[in-house]
Amino acid sequence: MTEFKVQERPGEGVSILDLRGYLDAHTATDLENAFQRLLGAKKFNIVVNCRDLSYISSAGLGVFMAYIEDVRKNNGDIKLTNMTPKVYNVFDLLGFPILYEIYKDESEAISKFQNTTKH
Amino acid sequence: MPRLKRILLILIPVIVLPLVFALDIVRMTVDLGISGLGTVRELALLASFASIGIALGSAEDRTKHNVPKELGRLLLFYAAVLAAIIFMTVTSLFGGEEGQETSVRYVAIHLLGTYIVGILVTVVAIVTLQRLRSMVLHKRTRGVRRNFLLFLGALGTTVLLSMPFIPPAGGILTYLSFTIAVILAVVNAFRQSWIVYLSRREKIYALVYAFLLFVVLTILDVLLAQRSDSQRAMLGFSPPIHAFVQITCLFATFYAGMAFVSTLFHLPTAEVFERKQSELNSLHNLGRLVTQVFDFEHLVETVTHMATEVSGARSAWLELFDQPGASVNGLRVVARQHASQQEIALFEANVLTALRKTVRESGKYSLIEDLWEDRRTKSLRELGVPKLALLSIPLVSHGALVGILHATKRAEQGFDQDDIDVLTGFSDYASITIENARLFLRSLERERLEQEMMLAQRMQKRLLPQTMPSLPGVEFAAVSESSAEVGGDYYDVFELSHGRYGLVVADVSGKGVSAAFYMAVLKGIFLSLVRLDHSPRELLVKANRALLESLEKNAFISVVYAVLDTKSGDLVMARAGHCPVVYASAKGTELIRPNGLGLGLTEGRLFAQSTEERVIRLATQDVCVFYTDGVTEARNAREEEFGYDRLIDAVQRHKTKDAAGIKDGILQEIRTFLENSAYNDDMTLVVIKWLARAEEKSRVIS
Repeated sequence: MTEFKVQERPGEGVSILDLRGYLDAHTATDLENAFQRLLGAKKFNIVVNCRDLSYISSAGLGVFMAYIEDVRKNNGDIKLTNMTPKVYNVFDLLGFPILYEIYKDESEAISKFQNTTKH
Repeated sequence: MPRLKRILLILIPVIVLPLVFALDIVRMTVDLGISGLGTVRELALLASFASIGIALGSAEDRTKHNVPKELGRLLLFYAAVLAAIIFMTVTSLFGGEEGQETSVRYVAIHLLGTYIVGILVTVVAIVTLQRLRSMVLHKRTRGVRRNFLLFLGALGTTVLLSMPFIPPAGGILTYLSFTIAVILAVVNAFRQSWIVYLSRREKIYALVYAFLLFVVLTILDVLLAQRSDSQRAMLGFSPPIHAFVQITCLFATFYAGMAFVSTLFHLPTAEVFERKQSELNSLHNLGRLVTQVFDFEHLVETVTHMATEVSGARSAWLELFDQPGASVNGLRVVARQHASQQEIALFEANVLTALRKTVRESGKYSLIEDLWEDRRTKSLRELGVPKLALLSIPLVSHGALVGILHATKRAEQGFDQDDIDVLTGFSDYASITIENARLFLRSLERERLEQEMMLAQRMQKRLLPQTMPSLPGVEFAAVSESSAEVGGDYYDVFELSHGRYGLVVADVSGKGVSAAFYMAVLKGIFLSLVRLDHSPRELLVKANRALLESLEKNAFISVVYAVLDTKSGDLVMARAGHCPVVYASAKGTELIRPNGLGLGLTEGRLFAQSTEERVIRLATQDVCVFYTDGVTEARNAREEEFGYDRLIDAVQRHKTKDAAGIKDGILQEIRTFLENSAYNDDMTLVVIKWLARAEEKSRVIS
């Protein structure tokens, strides 16, 4: 019924995950696997583009929580971008903007990564 | 046969035979001069033996016969008879030359000897005839039965023609009928159909017994036919009985001889027959496999056991996938027959992985004819593995490999095409049965899980308040629906000090059992924290600290906690990542959303910094609606969400009703919106309606 897709795309010094569709308890494992792959490949600078993400459930939010600690320990980060207002509201309700950097546009997140690595 | 009848049958010879004996002694010394006395004597003897025969026959019928054993038993009897005759002859107890001595004592002793041997021989002959009957009539056809009855007829005729009242002119007839009886005995002797059903071991016994029996009987035949002491004694005892014994012994001799020859010819086929027999038995037992689907352990044991049985393999073991379609590393040995764990481990380290891959890829059996010679397994020789042939057969069910059956045999014996055919056929059957057993187990497991989930559901329902407080001036109404058996929604009301009430609505991330567990943990934490009279924000800070330890990294809980002072109507609330509260007052309906992070997301300091508290002073007819995201995220068939706007509108529309009416009104609107679509999520609604401030109310009353 509801579909979810996660695609990895290389950026400048970062890895970009494009999310599409419904991220809920059933599809959360797909995103988990994607993070697992990135961490396995020692790619810790991660931008998650949520442009085509139409819905995220609490289980979907949990996936970010599960990996953020490891990523930050390795001097990396997960930055979220391009959320629709509805999806942003879900993140916002839980207080995610306090815990994660959320940008309107992917390029902002990428340049942020580049700035931090330069210093 | 009733016991009484048997006793009577035994009683006849016990009474009659001594009488006849006494009569004989009297007749030897005195001529009684009664004509026809000889005939009466013979009839009395025949009647005695006939009743012995009937009594014995009825006793025998109950036991199941094993031919080699019976041949052995007959051999024993005849050896005894022969020994008795030889003893009598050597000690001249049959009496020397006629008319030597005529004293009563002397005659009586010799007569007694004759009687003892005569009775012994006759009884043995009766038994022989009965045993031969069962052997001849084994798997009988009508012709066989007829031939045997004809023989009995000829035998009876000969016996009758030997009666003393038959004039010597009948001698030629007697001779003729004797010849016919002997010919029929030969014909019947060809009936040896029982041999086919003997095992090799039994055949060897039969061979030896038949041979010895033939030898003993031949000697006896000669003794009974030649003019010897024993023949004279038997004729003296009773000519008809002599005829009976003579024909029966001849018959037995032919039969033993034929049995010997037939068994000898059947001996080489014994092994083949035995194997076919065991194969047949095993295939027959296959049917029994089906009934073992209820006991998986036993089933796989039986499969390996039967694999060795049908193929004559030295050992066999069965490997199954835990999950179909897994890599060959997922194969696990579930049963083994005469194969030690070390031996399988040796195979495993040296050849099995490659072999499994071969079998898996080809989907066909693989045969290594000699482990010592084969390139792949040469190394096993140094490791002390015997010279074996190894056959590996795939177990396939619904086109997928479910496991592999391995069997070994001594290399010099090897697996022939027959073995392979039988084992592959067997494997097909076994894989279906194993698959069925697994299906059965799985459905059993599912049923068990369902029952446990039902139990969990009941228990979880009890964690929610069974009734809401009923107070003057304020109304409570609540509903919680769970999509799965157990859910992650939680609400509760606590009575605090000074007329204050605490209300919590929470949602645990994720679904199912883990969510239900955390919900129970959360209730425990709240139960202990509300007693400490914290402000809502303080309480959530403490709850966050307590939960950080027990929550998994990817799990968190959103909560809204509010304390209502029923004296003042002050509602103090703090929100930890939860849905905003719908507040309907005279001014309109709005969402109240104090800042706050979900519980279990971050450590205490950041949580405390970012979580705030809000106070609402309720006015008469004000309504507060607390809920979980199942309400706003309820999605219909057109993929639309119920959302905040519809919720606010619904509250606005129903706010004049009482709390329960508002709750039902909102629920009804959600249902209408969903239009029977299969939307499924946990959904909780708690409504508070403030009727009047306590002081206002008391003013009204006074």
